[in-house]
Amino acid sequence: MSDLSVSMSASGGLPQAPVLPEAPAKVTVRNLNFYYGEHHALKNINLTLGANRVTAFIGPSGCGKSTLLRIFNRMYDLYPGQRATGQLMLDQTNILDPKLDLNLLRARVGMVFQKPTPFPMTIYENIAFGIRLYEKISKSEMDDRVEKALRGGALWNEVKDKLNASGLSLSGGQQQRLCIARTVAVRPEVILFDEPCSALDPISTAKVEELIQELSENYTIAIVTHNMQQAARVSDKTAFMYLGELIEFDDTSKIFTSPTDRRTQDYITGRFG
Amino acid sequence: MAVQSDIIDDVGPYDRAKALGAFKLGDVTFYWITRLSAISVLLILGGIIISLIVGAYPAIREFGFSFLWTQRWAPSADPPVLGALGPMYGTLVTSFIAMLIAIPVGLGIAIFLTELCPQWLRRPIGMAIELLAGIPSIIYGMWGFFVLGPFLANSFQPFMIKIFDGVPVLGAIFAGPPSYLSTFNAALILAIMVLPFITSISVDVFKTVPPVLKEAAYGVGCTTWEVVRSVVIPYTRVGIIGGIMLALGRALGETMAVTFIIGNSFRISSSIFAPGTTISAAIASEFAESDGLHQSGLILLGLLLFVLTFFVLAAARLMLMRLDKKAGK
Repeated sequence: MSDLSVSMSASGGLPQAPVLPEAPAKVTVRNLNFYYGEHHALKNINLTLGANRVTAFIGPSGCGKSTLLRIFNRMYDLYPGQRATGQLMLDQTNILDPKLDLNLLRARVGMVFQKPTPFPMTIYENIAFGIRLYEKISKSEMDDRVEKALRGGALWNEVKDKLNASGLSLSGGQQQRLCIARTVAVRPEVILFDEPCSALDPISTAKVEELIQELSENYTIAIVTHNMQQAARVSDKTAFMYLGELIEFDDTSKIFTSPTDRRTQDYITGRFG
Repeated sequence: MAVQSDIIDDVGPYDRAKALGAFKLGDVTFYWITRLSAISVLLILGGIIISLIVGAYPAIREFGFSFLWTQRWAPSADPPVLGALGPMYGTLVTSFIAMLIAIPVGLGIAIFLTELCPQWLRRPIGMAIELLAGIPSIIYGMWGFFVLGPFLANSFQPFMIKIFDGVPVLGAIFAGPPSYLSTFNAALILAIMVLPFITSISVDVFKTVPPVLKEAAYGVGCTTWEVVRSVVIPYTRVGIIGGIMLALGRALGETMAVTFIIGNSFRISSSIFAPGTTISAAIASEFAESDGLHQSGLILLGLLLFVLTFFVLAAARLMLMRLDKKAGK
């Protein structure tokens, strides 16, 4: 413990999340390789996402962290010429199984994107839409679920009087929280955040970060970020990636205070990237 | 500082206002050229309306509003009787059937091309659509006359009669003696003719949907159909309706192909396999040998087509506005 506090001050006093006990694995990645056509984008990745933990992926642009995230819900399947090999398990389900029902997978593994992506419909419908895909429920139940989801997205108080306004009429930060609420509404097990705050102002960013922490009580979370303070603030584990390889994967406090690899150290201290 | 003053000295004193004055003249010219171009549209439109009204005036004075609901068209009777009900009905029915066929097929092609089609098949289908748009309308007319007409009369219509014989309403729609020239034949040709408009515009607007928005929809677990229905089509609604309007405008006014195959009968028949006529077909087939009141009646028909098209487009605008309201814009 004393060791930790010494190195913390050495790293410039980044705020640290407390070190949580090791969690059971929710997602297990074994020898994962990924190819964009001929280009070998991910090389032999091994890691686990702990259940109800926040795992951050950091690294310079083009290191493959977003690519990795897009494998977790097979988003790459939409595009021809992209393929993954290796093993990727969500509990007992093999995510890379070609026969897997992708719609069900994506209901279990939700995703929030870099830019807010409200659907071209009302705020209410933006939430109800996803629920309706899987459940047939009455209007009043739906109202409850929408409210719960919007509360979950920390947006309810701001939009409760204009649920029938277009989702596009909200501000950027609100739109992003709407997208988080929409993802939560489907009741996934894992939520992937792909640079969720890069298009947001600092206040909205703080709100979203707070939200991510709250969500980790119920969901397993993976977040890609370019903002190292953000990774330090919200995550329990951090993975540093570089040129398609996983360089270091450890407790966030360890990565930001006493990284083992030289490249990790250089990156978090801003020497490159 | 020194460097700066050197430059100014080198150039010498000059009048900036004068230099800008040259631009001003260009600006004014530019302003007036664009303004006149815009005004000329209004002038041309106004001129066409006025000359139509002047030409149609004798017929308006003679028949008044009864022109609208008279079915009889007898220019050589004494006194001549002219009524626009047949051609108006024909215009609306052929366009309606054409859109009924072309909208789902056209959107279907566009959805397939943008969302589902394997890469190697995209170009051939896309090119075929473009080529379809390039075929002159008289060729569609000939094809309808020599190929589609016989097929409809000899195979399709007997088949439909067999299925729907005795069914109220539907039975009457398909009944009647087989004829190569029919309202349905014309509607089918119109559907093929307007298909490229709907498809190519839809493809263009579908491509404007941000990939990340589609990914987000896939990300909550949508199937391709759900993504198209709930995200792609609502997002591109205005563009799609624009394409449909363009297609409808063409269907309402299309003349040559329709004149060839519709049969030019002013009688309204309950069967879509019976000959009929449209406004533009009636004008095209009779205008050359008309004079006096007959010609004036044909011009009045033209004016009606003008008004009809205007109202159809206005209705479409209204629909669009209401859709926007529903989406919460």
